Amino acid sequence: MRRRTLAAAAVCIPTLTMAYPARTAAQGPSAWVHVRVEERANQSKVAVNLPVSVVEAALQAAPEKVMAQGRIHLGHGGNDLSVADLRRAWNELKTTGDAEFVSVEDGDQTVRVARSGNLVLVHVEKPGGREAVRVEVPVEVVDALLSGQTEELNVRAAFAKLQNRRGDIVRVHDENATVRIWIDEGK
Amino acid sequence: MLKMMLIGAVAVPAIAAGAVAATGVVVVDVQERAGGHHIVVPVPLALAQVAAAFVPENKSHVRLPAEAERYLPVAREVLTALAEAEDAELVRVEEPGQQVSIRKEGDRLHIHVDERGQQVDVQVPIRLALSVLPDQGGHITASDAVWALQHARLTQVVDVQGADGEHVKVTVY
Repeated sequence: MRRRTLAAAAVCIPTLTMAYPARTAAQGPSAWVHVRVEERANQSKVAVNLPVSVVEAALQAAPEKVMAQGRIHLGHGGNDLSVADLRRAWNELKTTGDAEFVSVEDGDQTVRVARSGNLVLVHVEKPGGREAVRVEVPVEVVDALLSGQTEELNVRAAFAKLQNRRGDIVRVHDENATVRIWIDEGK
Repeated sequence: MLKMMLIGAVAVPAIAAGAVAATGVVVVDVQERAGGHHIVVPVPLALAQVAAAFVPENKSHVRLPAEAERYLPVAREVLTALAEAEDAELVRVEEPGQQVSIRKEGDRLHIHVDERGQQVDVQVPIRLALSVLPDQGGHITASDAVWALQHARLTQVVDVQGADGEHVKVTVY
């Protein structure tokens, strides 16, 4: 009996001690979501640094209904786009590979939505660099956002995919303010 | 007989001091401007809790609006996840004449506000913040809030330094 216990311990203890470092190494360094907002007019700077695990916990606990009746409100004209329409359009577009999906030149503003490799790029620019919005989202994040059959965006699934991204997600630069949102492994 | 009285005279204060030490003491330390009064008020937590229990129920309940109540689980999950996260500066706001910083340091959240010479430091153990979150019905009693200070033992929870030299400290021992 005693010999069997010793033999079991001889096998289990090295296995457990070897398994622990393997698990922590697989987890890797933790990712952080960073937000920086700078407003020139009132000389204010805001920096927010949150571990991805905290953002994920908030999303998991957030109330189910984030978006009313699965419709995304576009602009002030009362124009809505249903998630089902968006999902259909996205399923068609993503098979086309690298391409410019949308290009709108409206007065002094240019809006461009394109796919470049694994990223969906949304660029809004005004002449002379007066205002620039750059959104870079991995294709798999858009896939996850539009996953499911319901009229709702799957924000939780999208964020789960976004955790693998390292680098800028959103950059907004205009006359008065700059906003930057990115994910990296630094605090 | 004299021996019994002597033992009683020593034991009763010793037991009372031990009980107070075991349940905790909040010390409020107020130093008025230079040359002013220096007031130190120790309040045993057990005493504060007993006093809080006598506050009428309708006066001691915090009732949250329904919209805020929906987000209580979010607050609870965020605090729990923060407790397990690495130490870091979570928020920093800088404006002319004002600076706010929220840091996670060990098991505490350290909030520092510097506004035109006035410095405010608040240290909140995450377990304390979790235990004062209202329940599912949006209720928290004064007695629960006082008892939650048990999680802040050996912490200077509040330190306010006025630009005019006034200094207020609240420490839980």
